[in-house]
Amino acid sequence: MAVVEREKLLEVKNLKKHFNVGKNAVLKAVDNVSFDIYKGETLGLVGESGCGKSTTGRTIIRLYEATGGNVTFEGKDVHGKKSRKDLKSFNRRMQMIFQDPYASLNPRMTIKDIIAEGIDIHGLAKNDKERMERVYELLETVGLNRAHASRYPHEFSGGQRQRIGIARALAVDPDFIIADEPISALDVSIQAQVVNLMMKLQKERGLTYLFIAHDLSMVKHISDRVGVMYLGNIVELAESDELYEEPLHPYTQALLSAIPVPDPEVERSRERIILEGDLPSPISPPSGCRFRTRCPHAMDVCASKEPKWLEAREGHWVACHLYDNELNTENKQQ
Amino acid sequence: MSMHEKQLNNDLFQPAVRSSDDAEKITKESTSFWQDARRRLFENKGAVSGLIIIVAILLLAFLGPLFSHNGFDDQDTSRTNLPPRVPVLEKVGFLGLDGVDIRGVDQYKMKNQKDNYYWFGTDALGRDQFVRVWKGTQISLYIAFLAAAIDMVIGVAYGAISGYYGGKTDNIMQRIIEILIGIPNLIVVILMILILDPGILSITFAMVITGWTTMARIVRGQILKLKTQEYVLASVTLGAKSSRILTKHMFPNILGSIIITSMFTIPSAIFTEAFLSFIGLGISPPTASLGSLVNEGFKSLQIYPHLVLYPAVIISLIMISFNLLGDGLRDALDPKMRK
Repeated sequence: MAVVEREKLLEVKNLKKHFNVGKNAVLKAVDNVSFDIYKGETLGLVGESGCGKSTTGRTIIRLYEATGGNVTFEGKDVHGKKSRKDLKSFNRRMQMIFQDPYASLNPRMTIKDIIAEGIDIHGLAKNDKERMERVYELLETVGLNRAHASRYPHEFSGGQRQRIGIARALAVDPDFIIADEPISALDVSIQAQVVNLMMKLQKERGLTYLFIAHDLSMVKHISDRVGVMYLGNIVELAESDELYEEPLHPYTQALLSAIPVPDPEVERSRERIILEGDLPSPISPPSGCRFRTRCPHAMDVCASKEPKWLEAREGHWVACHLYDNELNTENKQQ
Repeated sequence: MSMHEKQLNNDLFQPAVRSSDDAEKITKESTSFWQDARRRLFENKGAVSGLIIIVAILLLAFLGPLFSHNGFDDQDTSRTNLPPRVPVLEKVGFLGLDGVDIRGVDQYKMKNQKDNYYWFGTDALGRDQFVRVWKGTQISLYIAFLAAAIDMVIGVAYGAISGYYGGKTDNIMQRIIEILIGIPNLIVVILMILILDPGILSITFAMVITGWTTMARIVRGQILKLKTQEYVLASVTLGAKSSRILTKHMFPNILGSIIITSMFTIPSAIFTEAFLSFIGLGISPPTASLGSLVNEGFKSLQIYPHLVLYPAVIISLIMISFNLLGDGLRDALDPKMRK
């Protein structure tokens, strides 16, 4: 994708979300995360379990109050005190698709009431007939039929439920959708169905996605750019093809080496980078670079200094001392 | 192998027309949660018999006294301690409903009451036990209704506020509950009697103060669980107000637990009242309560067993049937039992 003056839709700057866990213990789920999302693109966010991907998504959409930093949506600050009217208009622009299709639909409500919830809250339909028309239209958009409107969630399969969740988010005509691991609870065959639906909707409606997942191949398939998270930090961010072909950060390299290749010849000789040790506790993360305890290239400086967020190549950002030219020349001089 | 000799050709086949609509079609009849629950409840024999007994006792408690021309406090010393005597059934000897007491004396003949029938007999002051038992049942049912109402109003509201707002509010509200649970019920009732007279009012107040704590805790737990459910979060991201989240998402989902909890609170409240009346802290004479009837009757248990028998049977029936119904409702409403 050519870099031709893309319009920034969402700007996340030094976002922090800390949770208090017990006395004097703070869990830094998200610490100093910054990235931009451009209009019409899909930004993938990957990382292992517990690295703060979901917390990032939930903090952006105000489900959690941010501890620090700011999120700007079309030039307007998302967090902080807001009037009811501002909040409502914000809620219409930004929506979320959830991970667990079995927990994301209220079991006591019919499908039509679930999908129409946004319509009811924002008063988007003048009368009952218009409301039903909208619901039918949305059901057909996500590939379900009218007869499903009066049924209850337990009568549907996981994939169907996830599509109902998408229809609910679409009901308020959002511009930006945060998809929080929308496919990780589904069968592989159904995953493709849901991802294709999401891509089709993006094309038709010009949606922008923040796609959170841990399935690397699926993220590559759907994303224009990909960010890699480790222990509450973003360690690398680049165009999806570039990142997958030439990962710079040692963590990304290890992560990508885990993807199986659909070619037995290559697969046989594929070398995996096995990381040693476990994910450190986010309550007391390592000093300096958070990845240094498991990094095969760890240097002395990694323990003392936090790596800078650098543009190593055009559009390819990485936080690692290996690519800090200033630091490297300094070392050589010594 | 002659069956296979027949040649297969295209004429034998017809294309199956299957539109994309059919692919996602659900043929099963759509049933809501409550329809399912009702079906499961009525399949449960214990729950159904419990329900029937409760309805029967409810009807008798209010219609029963109308069958007799005596009031519950009409005394008449000429007809004291009469054993039960029921028309028609008096001819069936082994039932013991013929007005003959345990010494073999026909009390009705002796006390010149040949034309009268006291179905449950009379007590030491000649009051019609049948009327008194149903009056006492009315008190028990009043207590049952009161316990359920207090649970529903105070317990649910308290638990919902505590769980939904969380944080400091929750912390303070839970400490208050712990203090209330720490005070024994009997102490609260005795303190109430110091201020008010013994009677239905002091029991009512004691229950208002302490009766709702279990419900509040259960509702709080449920709300805490639901608060982090994704469908609630989805509603938040859509911009729903707290009132909408509570009424549309939370209450329909905890209604099952609320019903079950109050079904189990009711028998224990009935028993508490009967117990208090039995030890003399509850209903004061001449008003009858099942507990005070048993108390009066058990003094002459060996000579006039009918005075204890009927109120005791009624208490047991009420408690067993509420428990059976509560069990049935729990099975019917528990989503984990869903087939």
